[in-house]
Amino acid sequence: MSHGQHYSERFCHQRLPEKPVGMESQHKHLLELLRRTAVHGESNSVLIVGPRGSGKTMLLNCVLRELLEVKDVNKNVLPVHLNGLLQTDDRIALKEITRQLNLENVVGDKVFGSFAENLAFLLEALKKGDRSSSRPVLFILDEFDLFAHHKNQTLLYNLLDVSQSAQAPVAVIGLTCRLDVLELLEKRVKSRFSHRQIHLLSSLSFIQYLDNVRSQLSLPQDFPDTKFYDEWNDSIKVRHFSSYPQLVDVLQRHYNSSKDFRSLHLLLMLALSRVSASKPAIKPTDLLEASRVCMVDSKANILHGLSILELCLIIAMKHLNDIYEGEPFNFQMVHNEFKKFLQRKSHSIHNFDKPVVMKAFEHLQQLELIKSMDSSTAKIQKEYQLMKLLLDHSQIMEALQKYPQCPTDVKQWAMSAFG
Amino acid sequence: MFVGLLLSRYLNMSVEGQEAVTTVTPGQYILIEGNDDEYPFVAKLLKFFGDESHKQKKALVQWFLRLSEVPQNKKLLLGRSPHPQEIFYYLGRACDNEINAESILGTVHVRQDNSPDTLYVKLSWDTKAFNVLDPVLMQDTPASTPPKPALPLFPPCASPTATPVAGSVSDTRATMSAGKRSTLEAESIHSASKLSASKILSAKRRGSAADTPGVRKKLQLSIGASECLYCLFNILFSPFFPELRKELRNSVCFPCFLIQVTPSTPRHATPSIPSRTVPARQPGNILDEARARLHVSSVPESLPCREQEFQDIYNFVESKVMDGTGGCMYISGVPGTGKTATIHEVIRCLQHASDMDEIPTFRFIEINGMKMTDPHQAYVQILQKLTDQKVTADHAAALLEKRFSNPAPKKETTVLLVDELDLLWTRKQNVMYNLFDWPTRRHARLVVLTIANTMDLPERIMINRVASRLGLTRMSFQPYSFKQLQQIITSRLNKVKAFEEDALQLVSRKVAALSGDARRCLDICRRATEICEHSASHPSSTGLVRMSHVMEALDEMFSSSYITAIGCASLQEQLFLRAVIAEFRRLGLEEATFQQVFVQHRALSRVEGLQPISVSEGLAVCQRLGACRLLLLEASRLDMLQRVRLNVSQDDVLYALKAVRD
Repeated sequence: MSHGQHYSERFCHQRLPEKPVGMESQHKHLLELLRRTAVHGESNSVLIVGPRGSGKTMLLNCVLRELLEVKDVNKNVLPVHLNGLLQTDDRIALKEITRQLNLENVVGDKVFGSFAENLAFLLEALKKGDRSSSRPVLFILDEFDLFAHHKNQTLLYNLLDVSQSAQAPVAVIGLTCRLDVLELLEKRVKSRFSHRQIHLLSSLSFIQYLDNVRSQLSLPQDFPDTKFYDEWNDSIKVRHFSSYPQLVDVLQRHYNSSKDFRSLHLLLMLALSRVSASKPAIKPTDLLEASRVCMVDSKANILHGLSILELCLIIAMKHLNDIYEGEPFNFQMVHNEFKKFLQRKSHSIHNFDKPVVMKAFEHLQQLELIKSMDSSTAKIQKEYQLMKLLLDHSQIMEALQKYPQCPTDVKQWAMSAFG
Repeated sequence: MFVGLLLSRYLNMSVEGQEAVTTVTPGQYILIEGNDDEYPFVAKLLKFFGDESHKQKKALVQWFLRLSEVPQNKKLLLGRSPHPQEIFYYLGRACDNEINAESILGTVHVRQDNSPDTLYVKLSWDTKAFNVLDPVLMQDTPASTPPKPALPLFPPCASPTATPVAGSVSDTRATMSAGKRSTLEAESIHSASKLSASKILSAKRRGSAADTPGVRKKLQLSIGASECLYCLFNILFSPFFPELRKELRNSVCFPCFLIQVTPSTPRHATPSIPSRTVPARQPGNILDEARARLHVSSVPESLPCREQEFQDIYNFVESKVMDGTGGCMYISGVPGTGKTATIHEVIRCLQHASDMDEIPTFRFIEINGMKMTDPHQAYVQILQKLTDQKVTADHAAALLEKRFSNPAPKKETTVLLVDELDLLWTRKQNVMYNLFDWPTRRHARLVVLTIANTMDLPERIMINRVASRLGLTRMSFQPYSFKQLQQIITSRLNKVKAFEEDALQLVSRKVAALSGDARRCLDICRRATEICEHSASHPSSTGLVRMSHVMEALDEMFSSSYITAIGCASLQEQLFLRAVIAEFRRLGLEEATFQQVFVQHRALSRVEGLQPISVSEGLAVCQRLGACRLLLLEASRLDMLQRVRLNVSQDDVLYALKAVRD
């Protein structure tokens, strides 16, 4: 099914959109800047700042694609892609730059020489170049803020220094989600940065958001099967949307939570995966179901899988939290609380041996539903280690409601104000 | 090590371990220990004298140059390819013609006709041009007659079976011509023996100073393979050098080891960026032109506003170069105040002056603390720029130490610029110590200009002996005032009319108030031209950059983006920020756990009539705010217990949120 493939490419970010949406001015600015580097050999530096999922990489890739389509530019630029998560120090970053530039100290896939030699070699190479005759190099630093944590910020200093001196033309493009990224730069590095920042902050209204959902869901015009194309695009028209207030509610909720495309794509991908050959149209229920999967609380599932004993321990901890106002507790306290419950209220739960309760307690710790507060675990006996509960009351109560065949006395115990 | 005996007119010298005694008399041509073991300096001995304290023996010499000692850019003046044995009579005055007698390695034969075997001299070099040598110059000394092997060349103790190599460090032509060897052979032996002597000497000397493995390595590598073999055999089979033999056998036992190269590294890799197929386009319109001129990288015709500093540095360096002495200078100033640019300008002017023959020639080298991976790489870079050698840091330090502390035959002054000095700091501060100690040596002829950002760097990070050597020649570059900034832009634009006067003034005033960083000023102007170009579609616009454009550029660069970011955040994110503030107010603290904030968040969403979100969603919202640093968070593994702080002031958040609601 070719439209399935089409959507999977779109929603898993394997293909760039034809045009970046909602960032026209930023697109123009960046394209113009890089075009000047590529065509005029003017060195530049720029930071693209925006929250996660706001389309920084997409914007850059769109610009690069557009730039490389220009005939003059095509063979004349050398893009170098670095990522702060991959190149965790300057040594690795330098090797990677040298490898991607394919300088003469690269043989096959290996870069020769020590760290110091590599740096000297690269700087020498850049120094020898000049504005009019060398190919411009585009340094793309993804997760730019992580490069600022490298020792002395040597790499950033040198790249930005090249961009501010009459050497080979370079463009340093940093991508980051930190708004305070300039404060991370050392004063000399900061002085050499041109202070150009392109902010990607979406001020999308809900109406635009809905339009976006629709355009993301519709098939492209060059889709081969015209009949299917008409049927499909008709099924996601405005009236279908507005006739389901529930659907609009769900989308509003998503919009309220985050405006970025990545979470939207996740939702749409889940909805689309329910479309099959026998059911060749997307129904509002699909979106509702997908939304339910997206919104589900991550800990709720874990709580559903607990044993009754473990659930009882959690309730005991909840009561301890109520009594002591969030102070940490230890196993002994929880065990006492549990024993009190068994003696006074329980009819259905048997008495467990202490080692069995301990085992259940440890299991909860492994699931990270409780967390030890002591840093040194070795010194204190297990029973007396201070712990904290990593669950909210609402989460516990919700889990109890949904827990299959939960004994009533346990529910009542949980509901009661104190112990 | 040396047994020197100062008689009235000659010197008996011998190298320990070599049993020959060489006699040098004034008028002879001598070899003098230099930087290069293979090619010692050549000079003619004029006379001996003792120094003031009569402890050290000195000698007055007339220098001869090898072509390799002629500055690179002047080599072409010769107009032909030089013969390796050709040397030049030195007529310049920049070199100290007084040497320590200790540094004499032996004698050598120099002829005036073109002979392929011995060193010969035909031309003279006066630091500007090669001239035909006036024969009078070669004969005016009293001992112009060929050096006679007057005094015992071989002491009586020397075994008659010794090969000439083993025995002679001196001019052995007389003895050898008596022997059965051909001249050619004798010459090669001669050079081999000279070499070995030089090497033994320097090896010994170094060995006593610092027995670093790096030095020994150099010893092995610098011996050419064939010569090495020859002298090796002689040394190994002659009975006279038990000690040396042992040392050499240990280190250079297998000749093949000597010619071994590191197999993996691609050698002779030239650092270069591939060149483009289509040449870069030249600026088209007036704004393009202005932008090109305003780029920080473009070299301006002149450096305005730093005339006083320029003059001070110029005078300092010029006087040192003229006197052939050394010194240090410390220059401080915040980034972007033209420190490096001024020094480059000074050097450019001085180079010009030396080309015009107003001052002696000098070499300029530059290192930058930020452009090296480790402070000790400074040695490597200095040495590489001075001599084109590539060695390890320890070895480079030893070689530089030798270069700067030895008596300085034929050395030009070196001007060393050390940028970003503070990064050369090490725990023992030995790099800084050496950099500032070398200029104080008598023969170093080194001028060190250092640059850093803080005025009190010597007091703050340097230990006393380092700070004391740096001296008190200091200069500080003040941040530019708005008038100066304005002048800088005007001079850069140089009659290209692209800015309105008011616009320029606004930029310079704004930057002067913030930092006084000229780079910032130029970058803002550049951005303003872009904005102007994009808005140029208005028919009313004159094409000049106006106030509004500059304002927009300033706004882009300096306005904080936090307020906009809060305004553009999603509803839940904004709600979370409000919950954070509410919780802070409740606690009276500027810090709260996520759990506490989340309770507030839930309450607030009930007030707003929103469906409450789950804990996971709440955490996701919190993480998103943390990722763009509106909030400061603890590690996320703490889950609900992670503490939350605001990275913006509460007032800013409230202001931004209020703006959204209105």
